[in-house]
Amino acid sequence: QQTLPSHPPGRQQPQQPRVPPSVLEEPGGHGRQRGPQSVPLGQNGRRPEAGFQELSLADRGGRRRDFHDLGVNTRQAIEHVQESKTGSSGVRIKLTANYFRLTSRPQWALYQYHVGYSPEMEARRLRSALLFQHEELIGKTHAFDGSILFLPKKLGNKVSEVFSRTRNGENVKITITLTNELPPTSPTCLQFYNIIFRRLLKMLNLQQIGRNYYNPSDPISIPNHRLMVWPGFTSSILQYEESIMLCTDVSHKVLRSETVLDFMYSLYYQVEEQRFRDTCAKELIGLIVLTKYNNRTYRVDDIDWDANPQCTFRKADGSEISYVDYYKRQYNQEITDLNQPVLISQSRRKRGSIMPGPVVLIPELCFLTGLTEKMRNDFNMMKDLAVHTRVPPEQRQREIGRLIDYIRKDDNVQKELRDWGLSFDTNLLSFTGRVVQGEKIFQSGNVFDYNPQFADWSKETRGAPLICAKPLDNWLLIYTRRNYDIANMLVQNLFKVTPSLGIRMNKATMIEVDDRTEAYLRVLQQSITPETNIVFCVLSSSRKDKYDAIKKYLCTDCPIPSQCVIARTLSKPQTAMAIATKIALQMNCKMGGELWSVEIPLKQVMVVGIDCYHDTLSGKQSIAGFVASLNQTMTRWFSRCAVQGRGQELVDGLKACLQTALRDWFKWNKYLPSRIIVYRDGVGDGQLNTLVNYEVPQFLDCLKSVGKDYNPRLTVIVVKKRVNARFFAQSGGALKNPPPGTVVDVEVTRPEWYDFFIVSQAVRNGCVAPTHYNVIYDTSKLKPDHVQRLTYKLCHMYYNWSGVIRVPAPCQYAHKLAFLVGQSIHREPNLLLSDRLYYL
Amino acid sequence: MDKNFQEEQFTGIMKFTPPLYKQRYQFIKDLVGKYKPKKVADLGCADCTLLWMLKFCSCIEVLAGLDICASVMKEKMHRLSPLPVDYLQPAERSLTVTLHHGSVAHKDPCMLGFDLVTCIELIEHLEESELKKFPEVVFGFMAPSIVVISTPNSEFNPLLPGVTLFRHPDHKFEWNRAQFQSWALETARCYDYSVEFTGVGHPPTGMENVGFCTQIGVFVRKYPQTSESAQSEKPTEAVYKTVFKAVYPSLKDEKYLQNAVVSEVIFRAQIIKRSLLDCLMSEHEEYNDDPTERKSKFQPSMNCFSEDLGKLVVEKSMGPFVDGNMVYIPLKTIFSFPKVNRLCGTFEKLCKLIAGKVTLSSDGSAVMLNTEHENEEN
Repeated sequence: QQTLPSHPPGRQQPQQPRVPPSVLEEPGGHGRQRGPQSVPLGQNGRRPEAGFQELSLADRGGRRRDFHDLGVNTRQAIEHVQESKTGSSGVRIKLTANYFRLTSRPQWALYQYHVGYSPEMEARRLRSALLFQHEELIGKTHAFDGSILFLPKKLGNKVSEVFSRTRNGENVKITITLTNELPPTSPTCLQFYNIIFRRLLKMLNLQQIGRNYYNPSDPISIPNHRLMVWPGFTSSILQYEESIMLCTDVSHKVLRSETVLDFMYSLYYQVEEQRFRDTCAKELIGLIVLTKYNNRTYRVDDIDWDANPQCTFRKADGSEISYVDYYKRQYNQEITDLNQPVLISQSRRKRGSIMPGPVVLIPELCFLTGLTEKMRNDFNMMKDLAVHTRVPPEQRQREIGRLIDYIRKDDNVQKELRDWGLSFDTNLLSFTGRVVQGEKIFQSGNVFDYNPQFADWSKETRGAPLICAKPLDNWLLIYTRRNYDIANMLVQNLFKVTPSLGIRMNKATMIEVDDRTEAYLRVLQQSITPETNIVFCVLSSSRKDKYDAIKKYLCTDCPIPSQCVIARTLSKPQTAMAIATKIALQMNCKMGGELWSVEIPLKQVMVVGIDCYHDTLSGKQSIAGFVASLNQTMTRWFSRCAVQGRGQELVDGLKACLQTALRDWFKWNKYLPSRIIVYRDGVGDGQLNTLVNYEVPQFLDCLKSVGKDYNPRLTVIVVKKRVNARFFAQSGGALKNPPPGTVVDVEVTRPEWYDFFIVSQAVRNGCVAPTHYNVIYDTSKLKPDHVQRLTYKLCHMYYNWSGVIRVPAPCQYAHKLAFLVGQSIHREPNLLLSDRLYYL
Repeated sequence: MDKNFQEEQFTGIMKFTPPLYKQRYQFIKDLVGKYKPKKVADLGCADCTLLWMLKFCSCIEVLAGLDICASVMKEKMHRLSPLPVDYLQPAERSLTVTLHHGSVAHKDPCMLGFDLVTCIELIEHLEESELKKFPEVVFGFMAPSIVVISTPNSEFNPLLPGVTLFRHPDHKFEWNRAQFQSWALETARCYDYSVEFTGVGHPPTGMENVGFCTQIGVFVRKYPQTSESAQSEKPTEAVYKTVFKAVYPSLKDEKYLQNAVVSEVIFRAQIIKRSLLDCLMSEHEEYNDDPTERKSKFQPSMNCFSEDLGKLVVEKSMGPFVDGNMVYIPLKTIFSFPKVNRLCGTFEKLCKLIAGKVTLSSDGSAVMLNTEHENEEN
């Protein structure tokens, strides 16, 4: 019996030094018994499929969510794509993808039985033991979760009755009733395949961490950063367009060869005493830890500084024990630091109907996984990591092939597959995709072509006049004394680069400040006038508090566009001109200027982008960034954001955003858009249902409320960047990344969705990740080809990058906005700024 | 079949806390704590719960399980695999866990050389013919220093509701204390062991005369360790089938030791480099207008540096230094870190382990790191 201690009450009662708190809440059996034992069984007519879900969860040790959004059928409601959802334009290209077809013997079916006991037997293991006394009847191959039995063969009778004897000599009647014959494509079967596949990975001695499996025997060590990278695989088996396939990709797990306690100590030496606890919380909360004694991962939700390992808790049997003694006795784990705080992890999975209490973890016994925010921002570290984790197409294909090889060569795995009558194709799936033509870039009367291979036109358009240049008549340049030279140099460089762009520029009002936040703010308060176009701050370090304070003031109290640049960025002579050009362009956008456009044939359409930012640190609020196009060329964007606390629904805020966007559109165009196309980013795995059933109706409601005669066509497209699909283009015997503009809407899409993939950007290292688009609602009657083309065009319109990006520009703008508000401003920015890209 | 579970079932009234099966396992754990055996085998290991508990005992280097039923072993055998953390921080000790499929009535050389062999609730499942061979296999052939045998005490049965004949339908017999003890004493005498009797599961007050619910015999071999030569005379034909084997990462394995040392050396060198460069930086930046900021920038890294080593570096004449865009950190300095020291033992071993894995100065006395990396970007 393994029971994890639950939370000590240390925090409620003032802690007496060295006296462990006495009373503790009952941890019940919530600990780590695997799987369904503790789920109430049988009695009150569990639905047959529910039981199987339990099995699947127990097997992957995961959560209850359906990550694949199975059973959300949105295509059936979209009339014009019933026949076909494929586009037509572009050049055909031969592709392979990281998918393998699942093949089964002809007439394969899974037989689902309900198993009843009389008298009723409670414990799952007893139920299993009693049932398996009849192996001669049911056979060696089976999956049983305590009440549902799956067999690859059909029993002789629809209802079989057998008798078993418990060891107290009690006779038990077991009734095995056929409840279902599952075709290979039924959702239950799909779940079942996934379970079987996970069993196989376990047989291959791969270690499960979170949702994926990793190979611990050949780790890559990065001692510079105390990191360890384990190669591994993601896998999922789903029904795709034509067949059931296994999608598997190379995955890397970043682990840290230090405990949470080690980490706390090294942090302690890096920050001042009074900031230590805050910094700890900032760095640790939200991270996933592995424990020394079991194979489970936990999310750190809180740190309890009032508790320590000497605190006690009550075990399932009622006795009380301290953490030190518990871990010593249970796992022979010595806790040496008795003054360390404890970590709190809120359990996210329900056990039956009971929500278990929080779990207490000892920092010394936990290892960190993944990267902290700080590490992600560490350029050197990310570079060192990328060497190992960015796997180019050829190598990726080889590594994926290795998994299939393992499966083919392992006798046990083969036997398991054979017993169930399953097997996998040995070749990667290959099919034909399309590469749509590149876009022409229009910039103030000039037309530019770019090399589609690189998906970048910074060279081509360098120095060309902009569509709309905003003058820098009256602007402030704020710097510290040390950066005086840098500031001066910047002004000179800007004078050199702005004329060709068409930007009129006066000399800046130069203001020197002390390098303190208050000094910056005082200067802003004193020097900004109604005529000020923009404020430029040269910051001496990347200290976030200064940046935050400036942005907050200039986005809310005193709405003026602002540009903050770290002095170091400006200090390199080799890149000074290029940097000055970039800054000039960015400032121009922030003041409401326009850079370039692409041809957009669709008229009277408003394109909306939505993305979310979840503040994991304070854990309190989420921010939805909302942007909407204001003009036909999609060069101007309205923006607003919805800030909502925990428990509030996002959509209420989005409704208000959409209303204001329509009002502003009307002001600009003197009519309302006849089509609205929403690109919705920031939707997690398994949240599709909520979106379809809740968010879309709210949009429709909102449109209805605009006016009786107003009935625009609405399209809602869910944008997903994190997908496991990878495409490879065959080019002269070698595998390469597919070129930007590659569209895939066959084979690897899902039959119940109107979805497609676009590879829009080009990458230098590793494999390019396609973006998945799922049209969940559509009354536009636009052809799939047009939706695909429009989407790709929009990937060209992000002004902070003169090239094609991974998502449509409105999504990236929405992301930028939500990030700025979530990271720095924490409340809704002033609406006076809403028609400019001030958040770039 | 699951003995643990069913015991809990029928002891609804006669309830033991902790449950009886746990008390049996705890008994073994306590024994392991006392005698510190290196090689332990569990005969009739069933779902490997006892083995799983024993793998946390740091004295054990070899764990083996044997059962007649392969599927019950396989059901949960993966919990005997190393955990991710075992790879992240390989242990000092080595540990190999093996599961065999076979019968205690057969001899297999893989069971030789054990210090402790446990047979928890095993013998009562044996057929008469198997029980006959059992002593010769365990005491005669395996001949470990200690054997622990537990079995139900039938005198206790009247206190267990619902038990008519035996506690489990698969039991071939259940002995009273006299029966068990006479069998045990005879066996001990025959194979030159001493035996002591005890048990777990105390009877309720007033009923003490029935004895423990589970009776246990602890057998200790009276003659010294069998010599290698003696063992080699024994039959060497393997009859068990190995169903599972896990070798835990250990610092005894050169590969893991080298990884650990190289990681630690580079990590330490990086810390020293950073603090060295920070010192230099702060010297250059003396004109910084904000004294508080400089302090906060300087102090932490120095702290971190001085933690175990500051003094050492200052005192030793040969400290780390910067030359051009290279930082040199003497191996001696790195060797003086307690963790590096502990891992390698000797300075020569350190040099040997990092050879070719860490960039060293031309004379091989110092770790060389490039400063450029640091200034490049951020």
